[in-house]
Amino acid sequence: MADAEAVDTALAASGDASAFERLYRTHVNRVHSLVRRMLDADEADDLTQDVFVRAWQKLSTFRGESAFGTWLHRLAVNVVLARRKTLGVERGRFQAGEDPLEHVSARRVTPEISMDFEEALSNLPDGARQVFVLHDVEGYRHEEIARMLGVVPGTSKSQLHHARMALRRYLDR
Amino acid sequence: MNDKWTDRLSEYVDGELPAEERTALEAHLTTCADCRAILEELRKVVARGRALDDRGPKADLWPGVAKRIGAGKVVDIRSRRFSFNVPQLIAASIALVVVSGGGMWLALHGSAPETRTPVANVGQTVIQNVRGVETSRTDAAIADLQDALTRNESRLDTATVRVVRENLALIDRAISQARLALDADPGNAYLNLHLADTMRRKLELLRRVNAIATAQS
Repeated sequence: MADAEAVDTALAASGDASAFERLYRTHVNRVHSLVRRMLDADEADDLTQDVFVRAWQKLSTFRGESAFGTWLHRLAVNVVLARRKTLGVERGRFQAGEDPLEHVSARRVTPEISMDFEEALSNLPDGARQVFVLHDVEGYRHEEIARMLGVVPGTSKSQLHHARMALRRYLDR
Repeated sequence: MNDKWTDRLSEYVDGELPAEERTALEAHLTTCADCRAILEELRKVVARGRALDDRGPKADLWPGVAKRIGAGKVVDIRSRRFSFNVPQLIAASIALVVVSGGGMWLALHGSAPETRTPVANVGQTVIQNVRGVETSRTDAAIADLQDALTRNESRLDTATVRVVRENLALIDRAISQARLALDADPGNAYLNLHLADTMRRKLELLRRVNAIATAQS
């Protein structure tokens, strides 16, 4: 049986905004979560809109080789990374001396202000956070992540390990 | 606690350690309770990351997206950007040549004799003739694809067929309206382009739906 989403994708590509709204409703939570986890929460709404506007503009290039969701997701990652580049976020750089554990533990002072897992994730340094989100949450491989971020796979592995080591303290929250 | 193996535990969790190192680490794990504890926690972190719930925005972002993509907006003909296919460009360039040639003839010979066909009408006739050839080709292609869709419909689920039919009906209505309007105003460039654009959309939709249906087999 055909995937109704594939039909909506075809309709949206031919200019049907109602079909595109259905695609938006299906995927907005995932895109928003990705954006929020990779950037600051206060940018998530704007960037999520940017992702869907970009998707509408580029739908004619979607050839259906992958699922629409996969295509949209990769587009969202590209929009986020481009945004970071535009902002020139210094803290996103992979610095050898960076210690993810310090950033997270500094916020964990007493149980009263303890963070949940998502919040702890948002407090990781950008490099470790991005690699964790892309690898453990989104399922990208180190080689793909390294290409996206312009680093070597070894750096991606190292950042992932640091992120996991920091986050294990927040497993029960 | 941190020994030489601690930093390799994530690679071990991900199955990325070379065989030799994996064997050595597994031997180490049998004697190091700290590394075993960390390994267990790392596995839980990985599982937790995979299980994170997707949460949407607090406010509905669709109105903002719709506004930016122009959804539901009345198209202003004056500001509309058209894309032309090759036959349309040929039609436009032939018309331009005819009109320009006529203009040149008028410039060289003064006012045209009353018996001559007005230049603008010549241009319109060319557009109509080329459009006629083009739309009849498109009509034939659409008919072929509709036949194919009729054969392939059984491969699509009911909801999909309904959505496709509703959209085809909408497009057909737009085509009929454009043709009626063109009967009253055959030289209207916007209506010509609108008809061609609407037919192109129908063609594209039929192509894609057939491709989807075929892919199901």
